[in-house]
Amino acid sequence: MNPIINILLVLFAGSILAFGIDSINRKWTGWVAFLSVLLATFNLLSQTQASDVVFSLGGIRLKWGLSSLRLYFTYIIIILNLLAFLYSIDYMKGKARLGYFYSAFLLTVLGMFGVVISKDFVSFFIFWEIMTWSSFLLIIYNAYYKIKTEGLKYMIFSAIGAYAMLTAIVFVYHFYGTFDIATAIDQGVFSFENHIYIPLFFALAFAIKAAIMPFHIWAPSAYADSPMSFTSVFSGAMSKMGIFGLLLVLSTYYALHNPQAYIFTQILAWLGGITAAMATIYALIQTDAKRLLAYSSISQLGYIVVALSTGTKLGVMAALYLAVLHAVFKGALFMVAGAVEKQAGTTDMTKISGLIRKMPWTFFVALVSVIALTGIPPVGGFVGKWLLYEALITESNNYFLVIVIFFSSTAAFLYAYRFLFGLFLGQEEKETENVKEAPVKMLIPMLILALISIVTGIMPGLIFKPAAAAMREIGFENVNWEMTSLSNVWGNQTDLSLIGLFIAAVFVLIFIFLTFKGKKNTRYVGTKDISSSGELWKEGENWTFQQDFYKPFERAAAPLYKYKMNKIWEDFGNALEAFFNFFRRIYTGNGQTYALYVIGFLVLLLLFKDYIFR
Amino acid sequence: MVITPVHYIVAPLLAAFAIPLLSKIYKDAARVVPGIVLFYNMIISFVLMRQVLKHGMINEIIAGWQPPWGINLVLTPFTGFLAAMVSVMGFIIWLYGFRFKRTLKGGVVKYYEILQMMMIAGSIGVIITGDLFNMFVFIEIVGITAYSLTAFYRDRNGAEAGFKYLLLGSLASVFLLLAILLIYTQTGTLNMAQIAERMPEVSSGIKITALIFFLIALGIEAEMFPLNGWTPDAYEQAPSPTSATFAAVVSIAGIYALVRVLFTLFDVSGVHQYLIVMGFITMLVAEIAAISQKNLKRMLAYSSIGQVGLVLIAFGIGSQLAVFGALFLMLNHAVIKSLLFMTGSYFIYNSGEKRLEGLNGMHKRLPYVSALFSLAAFAIIGFPPFSGFWSKFYILIAASDQKMIFLIIGILLVTIIELVYYLRLVGRIYFAKEEMQDIAHKPSVNALVAMSFLALFIILIGIYPDIITGYINQAAAALLDKTHYIQQILANK
Repeated sequence: MNPIINILLVLFAGSILAFGIDSINRKWTGWVAFLSVLLATFNLLSQTQASDVVFSLGGIRLKWGLSSLRLYFTYIIIILNLLAFLYSIDYMKGKARLGYFYSAFLLTVLGMFGVVISKDFVSFFIFWEIMTWSSFLLIIYNAYYKIKTEGLKYMIFSAIGAYAMLTAIVFVYHFYGTFDIATAIDQGVFSFENHIYIPLFFALAFAIKAAIMPFHIWAPSAYADSPMSFTSVFSGAMSKMGIFGLLLVLSTYYALHNPQAYIFTQILAWLGGITAAMATIYALIQTDAKRLLAYSSISQLGYIVVALSTGTKLGVMAALYLAVLHAVFKGALFMVAGAVEKQAGTTDMTKISGLIRKMPWTFFVALVSVIALTGIPPVGGFVGKWLLYEALITESNNYFLVIVIFFSSTAAFLYAYRFLFGLFLGQEEKETENVKEAPVKMLIPMLILALISIVTGIMPGLIFKPAAAAMREIGFENVNWEMTSLSNVWGNQTDLSLIGLFIAAVFVLIFIFLTFKGKKNTRYVGTKDISSSGELWKEGENWTFQQDFYKPFERAAAPLYKYKMNKIWEDFGNALEAFFNFFRRIYTGNGQTYALYVIGFLVLLLLFKDYIFR
Repeated sequence: MVITPVHYIVAPLLAAFAIPLLSKIYKDAARVVPGIVLFYNMIISFVLMRQVLKHGMINEIIAGWQPPWGINLVLTPFTGFLAAMVSVMGFIIWLYGFRFKRTLKGGVVKYYEILQMMMIAGSIGVIITGDLFNMFVFIEIVGITAYSLTAFYRDRNGAEAGFKYLLLGSLASVFLLLAILLIYTQTGTLNMAQIAERMPEVSSGIKITALIFFLIALGIEAEMFPLNGWTPDAYEQAPSPTSATFAAVVSIAGIYALVRVLFTLFDVSGVHQYLIVMGFITMLVAEIAAISQKNLKRMLAYSSIGQVGLVLIAFGIGSQLAVFGALFLMLNHAVIKSLLFMTGSYFIYNSGEKRLEGLNGMHKRLPYVSALFSLAAFAIIGFPPFSGFWSKFYILIAASDQKMIFLIIGILLVTIIELVYYLRLVGRIYFAKEEMQDIAHKPSVNALVAMSFLALFIILIGIYPDIITGYINQAAAALLDKTHYIQQILANK
């Protein structure tokens, strides 16, 4: 049977089975869900050459199939999900409503997979919506208050995006007479020449899913408050659906480089740049590790969008590469946050610290992933960052944008360090004395992700290969790559391993230098051995870095924090609700008034009958 | 015995007279007999629908009196489809309510089931009749039964709601009668086909005046803004199976009457624009009102009005695809909204209050019913892969064919309002803290069967709409092909 149908069936059956089995034996629920993703993975890996599935539904021709671009994103989805489900088994242990959780989770996976394999707009939309509502069910999993605020915010934004897309889809059908994505693109749906709102509406939907400012309002809470095993997928894979969509929208521009679309790509690039910078600044002041990661995730998506919008070979390659890497390291980081949450009970960085001794493996994963996030060699994140810089500097004239990206990626060091320090370094606190290392089933997926980060740093060609194939599909010919290098615009090669090795060597040298230099004077102290230089210590005084970590920076950047998009949206929502509440009083509940309406309406119709009816 | 459309009417009428007598012999007759009758109606609707699709329209002349003196019943694919839908929903609602009313004391049940049955029979009558005055009679039957059912619980609120309904309903009757009179004086006939044939000769002033009377009268029945003041109260105060019947049967009949009159009888331009504008206003105001409701059934009632507004918009667009979408939406509305009322009724039954707070944490007490409610909520918002998605989708495609981009955006924005309050409800059921914990009133088996059947329908149609689209397509074609309708009936004469 066709692997596509197999995978969809396996995921769907798993979703129903997980729901059912939860009432029989709660221990099996996670395993059933994991098994169904595992089966899906095997299905995918065993047959990559799938023929298209074409059938008619409700008078509409639907087409599902794989191609190199789709396969690229399918790998991201399936592999990250496989690890996340393995991680879930222990992470979700002892929580309520496991059946609900896993069943919705599997439906989300099904939705994501469906979005990627859809070759026509209708099934694209159907799967997109399945993905959205099932992920909504997961976001509100943790508490009720969220449905009123955060969950609904996500849903409203998603619905605005999805319905913008739906509007665009029906107009694609009206103007081009087809729902087929490839045919429509060939006919110039996304050329920005006529019916410009069609690509704009599509882009709106994708920008919302990728949490590009100013449509990011839903993202911080949605990322931070969901169960972490889901967030790693949510931020790692589902946000990539937005990137996938944007690639489709921009594919005409990539092939033709038409000037009409150029302005649009510039706007998009700027939105991406602003997102990267602003989200970084917000990430700095977070005290909760999960929220910090959430903002960081938004900012990383900003990089990817910037890279996409350059529209050059190197830029798109950077985007595709960063898409994978972001899935890998952000998936791992959210899992780390989940492990800390599970073991220490909180992720508040002002409350816990010094977990390095308790959770060394988790720390290792966090360290590697943070290195990947900040783009330090020899880990994979460096390659992506390098490609992005090179694409921006050599192939675009947007030097100001380069500065923005440089700024935000430097500032990323700050929050990345804070994350590491806040959770793992510093003094041990009393509360965390009994914390133990995370269970093996949680560690394995995290370590695998860390390993991928490292391997892709040494051999980026592993990702270049499928990425080059994917790029061929969206209009880039001759993407040359080797295992460790990529040819750039001038035809000469960017030997990434050489650069990487060089920088790594410098770091190692500095490390050795520092170690030997300080050796003589080093006195080893326990983590709780704090000397107060003779001053008397008062209860409640701040002795640690945990609080006000970047106070000077916060003070300097204070004006920036004043303007919160969130507030604007909330005011808007409140005003709307008040207006609705006022408006509904049309229904007074008074029979006489209603009768009066009838008569009034009759009189109105009789008065204006010549204008209304002819 | 040959099955003909008249069985739809005769069987319930006979049963209604027989039930008081039968109750003397068999105590439960008042509850069982309507079920048998409605089941019979369901069966004949399938048989007749098959017949219609095979051999074309059925035109039955009652008692051999030729129109315009006699009355004829017409079953086209359009009316056949709606009649089948209404009778199936009628039976399912009976099945649901079979034990629901056992909690009530003795004699009351008798009236309840008879009224309920007559309301459904009257709605079928509205749909299948080919005679304008006959339609008026059936609308009156529906109206009278509906008023009394609204005031079924003998308390202040019930009486008030019933009175409001009665007030507006009688206004509707007056204007309907006036309109029919005007038409009769001009065309000399009450047969709809003949009226349609002679309509071009009527002077336009009188025609439009009659049209406006029709619009007012049938607008009240079809819950069009601003004529729908009765709706929220009636839906709220009526017993829940009756609320479901209002949504699934009565409002369908009301829309049918409006559409039949506008599409077949009149040839006035501007009607379509009127329907689109009024439909949109209806939908917008209803959803705005729904989002700030604090009472579950009232919220569902406003949501019903919203759906009706969308149906009217779709009819207003008027192309084959739009009418197809409208009929599909009517079907979905009937199924989904009655499922919402059915499940919602169990929430109210369990918590003992109609306010939204009563829903808090209800999934612990009623896990299955909660799942069904959520399913229905998702379906009515229009999330794929549930049936509600397809109807909305077809309507949007139809609108895009007319380049009505602002209409599409408007509909979708209103859908977002709808989404907000339905998801709040789902959130309440699953995630809010339950206030008190007492013994759960589990749904009875028959109610479970009825609700599961509807849920199954929602999922099946959602995943594979082709099961039903063929019928709806023919129904839509039959409504739009006015000349064929006229010719067939006049030839049959």
